[in-house]
Amino acid sequence: MRLFLIGIIITSLLGAGAYVIKLQRDNGILKANAIKLESAIGEQKALIENQQKDFKEILEANKKMNELVGVLKQDLENLDKRFNKKNRDVGKLAIAKTEAIERITNGASALATRCIEIASGSPLTESELNATKKSEINSECPGLANPKYIPY
Amino acid sequence: MLILSIFLTNCAGVKKLSIFKEEVKRQELNLNTPTPLELENLKWIIITSKNAEEVFKRLEESGIDPVLWGLTDKDFELLAKNFAQIRNQLAITNDLLDKYKQYYEPEVKKNGTE
Repeated sequence: MRLFLIGIIITSLLGAGAYVIKLQRDNGILKANAIKLESAIGEQKALIENQQKDFKEILEANKKMNELVGVLKQDLENLDKRFNKKNRDVGKLAIAKTEAIERITNGASALATRCIEIASGSPLTESELNATKKSEINSECPGLANPKYIPY
Repeated sequence: MLILSIFLTNCAGVKKLSIFKEEVKRQELNLNTPTPLELENLKWIIITSKNAEEVFKRLEESGIDPVLWGLTDKDFELLAKNFAQIRNQLAITNDLLDKYKQYYEPEVKKNGTE
């Protein structure tokens, strides 16, 4: 009977010891998990910040693209106006002032040629970049060629 | 009792948390930006019924074949507008390309290899 009781006590102690060891091991795992979770939260925060930054960039790119489309549309409308301003008839003008219109046409053609070069990626010259007056700008495409020019 | 203890401790185990991260980065395209155009300037000659003879005479004197390709004033206007539209499309396409490159390959831009 005594031996049986001693056996039960020893077994209980061993079981309790094993349980404590297991609890300690679990505790260690839980701590490691908590650290991993914290780092994962940190990474998620960084990811969300990066995504927000990306969204801002996308919005900004869209805004700039829309601005460019607007500026180019304006250049095209101005060209139309130049041909038809106050019921102007370029043909009749060319008959009346042939040399002057030829000179104007060649000047405008050279400017338009430069516009295509700029549109294809040619860098702007210093004078194009700094032009602010009507007399300094490329009248064919100020939106492309003269970023500092504000129409007046 | 011992068996019961071992059984209980194994059932109540805490599993290790594993976080998998896999990032497979795509190779950057890194295409060279197209070379900007360098166009030749052309010369327009306006011919009217009054100056036609004089224009052809001047051409012959300059050693240029006395032949011209003609446009009416209306067609000249259309040509100018067509070119303006092509130019605008070119500008938009180039800008679009730049924006994509800036967005997807910002490092390339920083290194100045763009």
